[in-house]
Amino acid sequence: MIGLIKSTFGDKVQIQLGQLGAAAITVNNGLHRDVLKTMLAADGKTGITAITGLDLGATIGVYYHIHTSDVFVTIKTEVRKENPKTQTIVDLHPGAAFHELEVADLLGVVFEGHPTPGHFVLSENWPQGVYPLRKDVKVNEIKNVPTPASETIKLPENERLVKIIIGPQHPALLEPEKFAVTVDGETVTKVEPRIGYVHRGIEKASESRGYLQDVYLMERICGICNSCHAYGFVGAVEKILKTQVPPRAEYLRVIALELNRLHSHLLTLGHAGLEIGYETLFQYFWRDREPIMDLIELTSGNRVYSSLITIGGVRRDLKNTDIPKIKTTLKELRAKLPFYRQIYENEPTLKLRMKNVGVLSKQDAINLSVVGPVARGSGYDVDVRKDEPYSAYGEIPFKEIVYTTGDTWARMNVRLDEVEESINIIEYAVDHIPSGPFRLELPRSVPAGEAVHRLEAPRGELFYYVRSNGTDMPDRVKVRTPTFANIPSFLKTAIGESIADIPANFVSLDPCFSCTDR
Amino acid sequence: MIDFLMLTFRILIFPGFAFLLLLTLFCDWMERKIEARLQNRVGPMVAGPGGILQPLADFIKLLTKEDITPRAAKKTIFKFAPLVAFTIMIFALCFIPIDGASVLSANGFSGDLIIILSFATITSFLLFLAGWASCNPYGTIGSARVLTQFLGYDIPLFLIALTPAFIAGSLQIANIALFQSTHLWPFIILAPWAFVLFIITMQAELEKDPFDVPHSESELVGGLETEFTGAKLAFLHLTRDVQVVFGSALVVELFLGGPYGPVFFGASWFWFTLWFVLKLLVVVTISEYITVVFARFRIDQVLSGNWRILLPAALLSLMFTVALVTWVYHPLGV
Amino acid sequence: MTDTKTWARIKSPWVLHFNSGACNGCDIEIVALLTPKYDVERFGVKLEPSPRHADVLLVTGCVTQQCAERLKAIYDQMPQPKFVVAIGACACSGGVFEGNYNVVGGVDKVIPVTAYIPGCPPRPEAILDGVVKLLNALNPPKPKKQPKQAELPKEKTKPEAVEAQAAQGIVEEEKQVAK
Repeated sequence: MIGLIKSTFGDKVQIQLGQLGAAAITVNNGLHRDVLKTMLAADGKTGITAITGLDLGATIGVYYHIHTSDVFVTIKTEVRKENPKTQTIVDLHPGAAFHELEVADLLGVVFEGHPTPGHFVLSENWPQGVYPLRKDVKVNEIKNVPTPASETIKLPENERLVKIIIGPQHPALLEPEKFAVTVDGETVTKVEPRIGYVHRGIEKASESRGYLQDVYLMERICGICNSCHAYGFVGAVEKILKTQVPPRAEYLRVIALELNRLHSHLLTLGHAGLEIGYETLFQYFWRDREPIMDLIELTSGNRVYSSLITIGGVRRDLKNTDIPKIKTTLKELRAKLPFYRQIYENEPTLKLRMKNVGVLSKQDAINLSVVGPVARGSGYDVDVRKDEPYSAYGEIPFKEIVYTTGDTWARMNVRLDEVEESINIIEYAVDHIPSGPFRLELPRSVPAGEAVHRLEAPRGELFYYVRSNGTDMPDRVKVRTPTFANIPSFLKTAIGESIADIPANFVSLDPCFSCTDR
Repeated sequence: MIDFLMLTFRILIFPGFAFLLLLTLFCDWMERKIEARLQNRVGPMVAGPGGILQPLADFIKLLTKEDITPRAAKKTIFKFAPLVAFTIMIFALCFIPIDGASVLSANGFSGDLIIILSFATITSFLLFLAGWASCNPYGTIGSARVLTQFLGYDIPLFLIALTPAFIAGSLQIANIALFQSTHLWPFIILAPWAFVLFIITMQAELEKDPFDVPHSESELVGGLETEFTGAKLAFLHLTRDVQVVFGSALVVELFLGGPYGPVFFGASWFWFTLWFVLKLLVVVTISEYITVVFARFRIDQVLSGNWRILLPAALLSLMFTVALVTWVYHPLGV
Repeated sequence: MTDTKTWARIKSPWVLHFNSGACNGCDIEIVALLTPKYDVERFGVKLEPSPRHADVLLVTGCVTQQCAERLKAIYDQMPQPKFVVAIGACACSGGVFEGNYNVVGGVDKVIPVTAYIPGCPPRPEAILDGVVKLLNALNPPKPKKQPKQAELPKEKTKPEAVEAQAAQGIVEEEKQVAK
């Protein structure tokens, strides 16, 4: 792929191999569309992972992070600050819509040709011209934004259609977010999301805290996939520092990440039960989740925020006396899985609510660049642990779970099977953990540089971009969370289905809005 | 004079208002405990021994809350519908023989089965009005769902209720119950298909899982109850609990032989009441068990299930029972 | 009658949970209260969907700008007597996000708070402990003995005195509301 780009564009691109993925391709503004067109034509599985916007002083950098079936590259472009205009790529790849909206909102870049411009993460009455992620905007100056009243709702043009607002306070949704659903009778015709209720300005805050403090800050983006966020940040920083952590630390990190995945999947499986009115299933799944929380507390000292992963390794070692307890708990959990499998196979009311609901075809999944169990439930086999192994995953054997039907039932089954795979991984890691140090002492100041790191969080691919300028505080941290990539698929799958299917459909993509809004 | 005092006692204390109220609260507690136990939990424990005063605490607490009426609501219906619904439901319960005779008149009158089923329909209609009068989008959708579900399932309910009436040859509840005790076999054995269908239809009428749609929190916030607070909410909840007792009492009377059972010693009214309560608790347990074990259907699945499956099944059940009675039971002298 | 009222209120607290911009940690621990290991239904606590039905509002999150108005609206919709519990370090004071743009920082900047439960996130046992303490504070305080003329009362700095004063304040507020 890189060779193809080099040969097609010759001098108009500058390619640095091994930077920001397999290669960083610097082009002039405007040429990025042609490069992307070439890549899309060459490989049908090309998709956008993220679009990073960053303030480079006189210009604003717009970096397109693109994944294909075999490489991960970054296309770097810049726009001038006085006239930050560039062309959209939404017509080429629909999955880029949200990413462009976010860069436009937080940095003020205008994407010409975007179909639905407007505020995305910030509120409607945000002051004009104040772009939080620009360096000249200080945090204390923008704190006096008046709290917005309720947003005006545009009524649908056709009088027969009714617009129903779901959220921000709704018993089905654990987090505040708003969906304006336009229905015709009971059938959904359009879904318009409004996110940003959980936007806490974390990316801006990370620029005024040290690297070690940022590990704790990044962890608190989401309470459920916290270890993954910590690891994403730490992995990118270690790439800038060009260090290799000790092998024992890698294995301990794998154990922490997989325990995280276990508790998250059990949480979702139980929550799905709650959404379809199956309270008993919810109680049973969460009852079986509690021993995993005990394991997380055993290995790290805290139930939810384990904070185990830190720059240079892990914070605590695993005692040999803890290993039997880990193994017994996992054995007990494994013994319970056939019961749940049998429910998913045979329970008639559950199958009625979940089968053929929210069907996402494989081509749609590829076009919208969905990730995680949502993609794997539709036959699109992306899994960063297999595609680009990180940490100790390259040495640990496990299966990638793929189902092909693409409905809610398939997605939940992917998660159920991944529970078993996670148990396998942890048991293997615990048995084969090498001895040695578990942490390196690293300097507080990080040399100038930039790096990306991708990992497979429970909900899908989590992407981190970190740029440092040589001081002890990062210059820019960009996070692209899996739910951010998956929401467009919900907007598509809900159309044409009954409004009563929305809770089940929605919970099957395992939304986490605190991740999305940051 | 004595008769008048006796009647007042029967209406107000036993087996009338006070007894029915206590029975309702007790059944509510039982439902919560069964649900908790099946979910591997314990349920209410702190209010009174074993949590038995929990429904009473809920009721009193709701009575002491501030009463809010939204400005846009239709005031009269909003204020009075819960209380009227509760009254009608308790009134319907008064026709059911509990201690060998019903509260109001000793043996009822011919056709009172139909009358009390109509009372149940009126109550549901009042609940629909209550939700509609609250002028809240969730209340309106919730109450519309209550209406569609209830009206739809009313038809099979009447048909299946006619089955034991046909076997007993009477539309009087007391006679149906008495028939079962004088003729050896309760109708659960003579017409088990009707029993199963009746239990399923009752689940739908009472809006319990898997027919829980009008109360589905994940879609409708509070359903028709969304805007109600304080005393009105207390009576809405109480109406729902009385409906559960009513439905279970119907099952007891129509299929399990009513309050009649062996009298070992002493006053017959004591033993009849005891048998009635025991049979009622068995039915409540079965109903709650079904609630806990299943997920919730979608509204269109509920409605299509009614018209496509339950209604034909109810018709078939009635026809089959008629044939069975005419050509098998009567010649056998059952 | 006051005793029965207070008894009913203590034994039957219905809660409404609102997430005003939290990371989900505290919310998951609140939902975990309903599960078999902690089983909060023992105390009569029910999770209610509508603000009109609830007595206690459990708020998590550092209150983002967009959520502030909604939090106020939900609080206003609840009928008296009502209590607010701020769960987690973020709800108490903004937590680790204090100072960020888009963050108001602390629930008590928007609505009055009755109880604070710190932690990041607080364990389910801690949340339960906080809710039970809040309920027990509703009990009217035991009457204080009048000191004799010769004795000067010592300065009470024990926590029971503080709790008793808080309870007194709540009971007086209720009396005013009931009027």
